[in-house]
Amino acid sequence: MSRLLPLSLFALLALCLAMLAGIAIGETRVGAEAIWQVLANQLWQAGHAVDPIDAGIVWNYRLPRTLVAAACGAGLATCGVILQALLRNPLAEPYLLGLSAGASTGAVAVGLFGLGGAVLSLSLSAGAFIGALAAFALVLLLSRASGSRHDNAQVILAGIAGSQLFNALTAFLITKSATAEQARGILFWLLGNLSGVRWPSVWLAVPVALFGLAICLWQRRALDAFTFGADSAASLGVPVRRTQLLLISCAALVTAVMVSIVGAIGFVGLVIPHALRLLLGPGHSRLLPASALGGALFLIVADILSRTLIAGQVIPVGVVTALIGAPVFALILISRRGRP
Amino acid sequence: MPHRLAALLAGLSLSGLAHASATQYPLTVDNCGMPQTFTQAPQRAVTVGQAGTELLYALGLGERLAGTSLWFNNVLPEFKAQNDKVPRLADNEPSFEAVVGKRPQLVTAQFEWMIGAQGAVGTREQFQELGIPTYLLPSDCEGKDNLVGADGTRLQPFKVQSIYKSVSQLAEIFDVQERGARLNAELQGQLDQARQRLAGQDLAHTSALFWFSSADLKTDPYVAGRQGVADYMLQTLGVRNVVESSEEWPTVGWETLVKANPTWLIVARMDRRRYPADDYQKKLDFLRSDPVTRNMDAVKHGRIIVLDADAMQAGIRLFRGLDVLSSAFASGKAPQP
Amino acid sequence: MTVMTTIADAPLTCRGLGLRLGGRDVLQGVDLSVMPGETLGVVGPNGSGKSTLLKLLAGLRTPSSGSVRLLGEALERLPRRHIAQRLALVEQQADTLDAISVYDAVALGRTPWLSALAPFGKEDRAIIEQALADADASHLRRRLWGELSGGERQRVHIARALAQRPQVLLLDEPTNHLDIQHQLGLLRQVQALPLTTLVALHDLNQALTCDRLAVLDQGRLVALGKPEVVLTPERLLGTFGVQGHYLVDPYDGARVLRFRT
Repeated sequence: MSRLLPLSLFALLALCLAMLAGIAIGETRVGAEAIWQVLANQLWQAGHAVDPIDAGIVWNYRLPRTLVAAACGAGLATCGVILQALLRNPLAEPYLLGLSAGASTGAVAVGLFGLGGAVLSLSLSAGAFIGALAAFALVLLLSRASGSRHDNAQVILAGIAGSQLFNALTAFLITKSATAEQARGILFWLLGNLSGVRWPSVWLAVPVALFGLAICLWQRRALDAFTFGADSAASLGVPVRRTQLLLISCAALVTAVMVSIVGAIGFVGLVIPHALRLLLGPGHSRLLPASALGGALFLIVADILSRTLIAGQVIPVGVVTALIGAPVFALILISRRGRP
Repeated sequence: MPHRLAALLAGLSLSGLAHASATQYPLTVDNCGMPQTFTQAPQRAVTVGQAGTELLYALGLGERLAGTSLWFNNVLPEFKAQNDKVPRLADNEPSFEAVVGKRPQLVTAQFEWMIGAQGAVGTREQFQELGIPTYLLPSDCEGKDNLVGADGTRLQPFKVQSIYKSVSQLAEIFDVQERGARLNAELQGQLDQARQRLAGQDLAHTSALFWFSSADLKTDPYVAGRQGVADYMLQTLGVRNVVESSEEWPTVGWETLVKANPTWLIVARMDRRRYPADDYQKKLDFLRSDPVTRNMDAVKHGRIIVLDADAMQAGIRLFRGLDVLSSAFASGKAPQP
Repeated sequence: MTVMTTIADAPLTCRGLGLRLGGRDVLQGVDLSVMPGETLGVVGPNGSGKSTLLKLLAGLRTPSSGSVRLLGEALERLPRRHIAQRLALVEQQADTLDAISVYDAVALGRTPWLSALAPFGKEDRAIIEQALADADASHLRRRLWGELSGGERQRVHIARALAQRPQVLLLDEPTNHLDIQHQLGLLRQVQALPLTTLVALHDLNQALTCDRLAVLDQGRLVALGKPEVVLTPERLLGTFGVQGHYLVDPYDGARVLRFRT
């Protein structure tokens, strides 16, 4: 308990520094003084004279982007914690429930056929969101239909089956209808891209991430109770079905929103919870806020790298997270080898 | 000087060609590294790609077309009569069997990724086995490696000669060499006229940016890089392309583009609606409403040119596009879309 | 236990309890009342339904027929938290890949008692310490789960159940992985606790120390009563398939079962 306060302050400080880095570093050079002046103007009407293009870049491009990166990283990491706790599987991650596969199908359907395009002006984001939830609904139905008891292996298998189905649909749509240019555009978006993010996305991503984290913190003791399995949780007084449904639906919703805003960014939901569990132990009171923070920092850094690794070009964020995440994941696996 | 002399020489040489000979069959044409042999002028042809289609219409060969495919826009009004009589096999790429089922004696392709080593319709060998010659527009294979990069990578900058070559080669194949020579003269004339308009103008500080479309309206746009057709248009008119990538259509972040602050913005108009950004009106709305792009000089002063997407490809529309651009650059005012 | 103790006072009863799985009756028509404070042993060969019975009594499975009453109330109508504050189950197999410390694993037992209005406090800490001591696991408190032996893990599970401060304790073959010292010690401890205990056992000699025994045979309750009354040589042969007879141990006069094939 005595360590908690300084640790929390340190964590918040780290987050602020990362966000500052996200604002300061980008595709082009914007001087430190200009950045300071823009922030001063926006936050307390300081009235400095700043080039409107620089001001726009800092306040309307980079700041929302950094905030959304933080929110998505936090949201995806939190969802990873939930799924690993409930499914008792170290390989569990948010996309296991078919969400990213469904999002691809939804985005591709909108992108290729302008499904609802003329009538509803459906964007890729909306298509991805609907697709993600459709896939999740299918996975839920499949896992219910395959057994009356909520067996983890069945849920995972249903998730795999659902993902495969929607991935196949995506491939079919692309090969049938897309030009190479279209396919490239959609796949680029799906790999994770923070380029199109503006303030409206912030008002969606940040509350959703906070909401997800809040629900999980509320249920942190229930999550702990699942340590020895669902039966054990039940005998400890947790209403298992209700809790599982609440938490998995929460995870699905948060993930669907995040995927629809930035595409399917991988590894955050898988690696961050593991890394923090190694450092802090499995107790969810600490694991949840720590994972959220860790995810936020990770994605901010990944976004900065994606914009600066190659001059004049933006690498999809999902590629950067994989490049960092895969070796880290391998390290985790190796470090577990000594355990019984 | 060089422009006027070139125009004169071109005119003289082409007028010499005006009394061109009739084609001698059997004719072997070396096309993109594969010789194609014709025993007679093809009576039935299928096109894959609007540029090739309109080229053949411009040569008055509409009644020899048995099928068309791969359209980006509506056909040019002056070709509508010819086009109405030709069945459309597909708006996008047709299947191999659909093409072959028309028993063509020639298949033209605008892109190597349509008919080529990894052709979406088929490989050139597949057609050859059935005795069907294929003609790839040279602008897509000469100096270009289509197996690298999403749209292929240009090893050398695009040369307008490849279009003249398409015209004269197709004219030779169809034994209408006189019409071919006339068409080339006309196109060359349009090019020269476009250049002439800007002669004597100081364009040292003029730059431009081509915006084709974007996967999602606010995300990184597809813009024209160096060495491609769009870049050629700027080069030939003496205007600098702000994009420095050597990919033909790279995605570049808005932050970089806005900072580059080009003098002119050229946005593509097309009838396709795959992405919301295909609609040029949406592109204009975005430019004017986005808090960063609306501060660009070009947006503030209305120096935005709306150009036919087909004019940014290698085909006869390129020359009309050059005309539009040069008028705008010369007058300093964008035409009404 | 007196004649005056009615079924209504019994902390845990079931009537006509049955479970049908995959077309087979795993458990059928079980009527059972556990008397307050007693240690009731449940014995039977493998597959006789012991684990199933315990899970049904703990409310972890829904019976196909019959009903269970916990402290006078119908089990299916009770909220899980309510049940967990009164009944604890130590499962045969419960494992985790998490690197949880023994202390934290036992602390999980306080879950049914904690809430936003009743956060973890000094009293909970004291209860956990007591539970660790009762299960002889105090010295293990800082160890991580993965480092423990099977027997140590079992004791931690028991400590966790004790930390729940239940009135009824169900144990599913708790002596399976324990060494001989801990096997004997555990049963003695469990019987000394002022809890009503239902314990499924494998070892029939250990079963003799229980107050009463219930014998299950292929899902049916075939005998219920004092150990020596229930475990007759006929029963041993009929249900367990072994020949056995009683011996008296000259050391302390205790009755011991001897088996022969």
